[in-house]
Amino acid sequence: MRSPRSPFLWLIDKECRELLVSRAWWVLLLGMGPLVGLSFIGAVRTYAEVSGLNGTSGGVGEALSPLIGVWAPTFSACELVAVFLLPFVAIRLVSGDRQSGALKLESQQGMSPLVRIAAKSLVLMGGWLVAMLVPFSAILLWISYGGSAYPPELVTLTAGHLLNAGLTIGLAAAMASVTEHPSTAAILTLSVTVGTWILSFIGAVQGGWWERAAGYTPAALVAEFQHGLARLDTVLIAMVLILAGLGLSAVWMGLGTDVKQRVYRSASVVLLAAGSIFACTFLNASWDTSESRGNSFPETDERALRQIHGPLRITAHLAQEDPRRADLESRALSKLRRVMPNLQVRYVSATSIGLFEQTNAGYGEIWYELGGRRTMSRATTAEGVLESIYSLAGVKPPAEDDEAVFRGHPLARPAKGAGTLFYGVWPGLTLASGLLVRRRFK
Amino acid sequence: MLFEVKGLSKRFGRIAALADVGFQVRAGEVLGLIGPNGAGKSTLFECLAGVLPSDGGAMHAGGRIVDVRARRSLLFYVPDGIAPWPEQPVRWALDFTIGFLGGRAELREEVVEQLDLGELLRQPVGTLSKGQRKRVLLGIGLLTSQPALLIDEPFEGLDLRQARDIAAALRVHAARGRTLFLSIHQISDAARFCDRFVLLSNGRVCGEGTVSELAGLSGAEPNLEEVFLALT
Repeated sequence: MRSPRSPFLWLIDKECRELLVSRAWWVLLLGMGPLVGLSFIGAVRTYAEVSGLNGTSGGVGEALSPLIGVWAPTFSACELVAVFLLPFVAIRLVSGDRQSGALKLESQQGMSPLVRIAAKSLVLMGGWLVAMLVPFSAILLWISYGGSAYPPELVTLTAGHLLNAGLTIGLAAAMASVTEHPSTAAILTLSVTVGTWILSFIGAVQGGWWERAAGYTPAALVAEFQHGLARLDTVLIAMVLILAGLGLSAVWMGLGTDVKQRVYRSASVVLLAAGSIFACTFLNASWDTSESRGNSFPETDERALRQIHGPLRITAHLAQEDPRRADLESRALSKLRRVMPNLQVRYVSATSIGLFEQTNAGYGEIWYELGGRRTMSRATTAEGVLESIYSLAGVKPPAEDDEAVFRGHPLARPAKGAGTLFYGVWPGLTLASGLLVRRRFK
Repeated sequence: MLFEVKGLSKRFGRIAALADVGFQVRAGEVLGLIGPNGAGKSTLFECLAGVLPSDGGAMHAGGRIVDVRARRSLLFYVPDGIAPWPEQPVRWALDFTIGFLGGRAELREEVVEQLDLGELLRQPVGTLSKGQRKRVLLGIGLLTSQPALLIDEPFEGLDLRQARDIAAALRVHAARGRTLFLSIHQISDAARFCDRFVLLSNGRVCGEGTVSELAGLSGAEPNLEEVFLALT
């Protein structure tokens, strides 16, 4: 007589049990409450001050977007936890079988290592969703204050943090399977994370391909989602990286294969992933889900820009670390790329900081070229860039649509009850649940 | 004959752990794999079970080569010295064996009784003593459904009484037609319990057969210890 439940469900049951008795996961849950609380209370206080609490003048526009003012800082606690705590939970779940010897028994079942690592990943993602109940409870608290919540941007933000957690799980799983000992896996996982920070730093200083590569690091991914922007290339690259991590983990988790074969298979996974990532970089679809349309020009401008079909070349004489270049990128070019796929941007500078180039005649100039015509401007604002493009294309600038302008959602309310919830109730609940569940499952 | 192993070899760098190992396993027998520490007994079992890649050799059954994947329906290997799922209770480990490893649920109560696991059912595997853990591992092995069961050091960590009880339990399962292939380094245990023997020394098979067959081969007295000393 065989068990009526399928082996896969037994495996899920086992992984759930292993997660529930994992101290690392309970510590993650315990830490999540105060971290989210600290961020949320600080964000709500600042938001209230900007909204006019304590006699300060009322603010307008993007400053009063809950996405930027409250959700981005509140959910940033998830990023911190994903970097510093989640790897330990994932490594514990993946390498535990090898450490205890259970892998030798389980591998005789014949189930593919890929299916087995998929089961572990599903359970880890489930565990991460439980941890995300903390920021979700912050949303409910915010709504109870009378705050505004715009579902599309919240969904995007959540998706970004789920992808980021997926990246951590993929990386940690790969490291836990490749290495013999969990501590080595933890060191390597954190080393890769630090490596991505170094890449971001080099990208900020060197620009070019470094900057492009830095745009696909987990930190950059989360930053985009925190602004309500979902880019197809970023999402697909993140998914390729997650699958590559899990694939590598499966290659090294399987017993009975010699090292040479594993190395060949790993190289195949890496090559396939590299090819897929390269292909994904050519995709430029994106969706601005923010209520404030912070990643887009006004709709009237976007309609006008879509009428301009020729390739637009922009040559900006601005050094990598010149703050005007950052302004130009964030206020105009990042939005322009989303509307005009034929846009080519080139930065020209002799140094990375540009401090000693200020006296050069052409420094600071931004040249626009369209259909053989050229014009120059020094403006780095969205309005200045659009004006140059319209004049070059001979298009009449559209009239400003006052009704479409995002006015923000001011809310001058203190974060009442948040301290009790995040510093008291959540840790207490976690501790009590942890003790009860560990006792129940042992 | 249940299966035959031919030319099995395994190297760890410069060290040949197994060299051209070959022997036969007959259906329903209790076969003892005996040899000193470091002879390659565990390596042989792991290669057969496919949890360690071998460098050469093959397993044959019914006139065909049995690849690693197909071996999973033929044999199950119980390693020595592991504590699987240490945080989970014994009860769950047995249920998991039935559910995930395709074990036989109808044997559960019998195995629990035979191995005296009743009082351990609620205890996490990781908190058990060496002997208790060995009994749980044997329970896991006995619940599996493959016709051949390979057990690495089944009596390791057990006291005399437990070893005798467990030997009796294993005998019951062997009498029902289950083939037991046991790696044993204690010659006296092996002599008491096994029908036939494979003698392994320095990764090579030095002899295969019953005590009298081996005695004939070595010219020693029909005593397993003497045979072992003469052949290894």
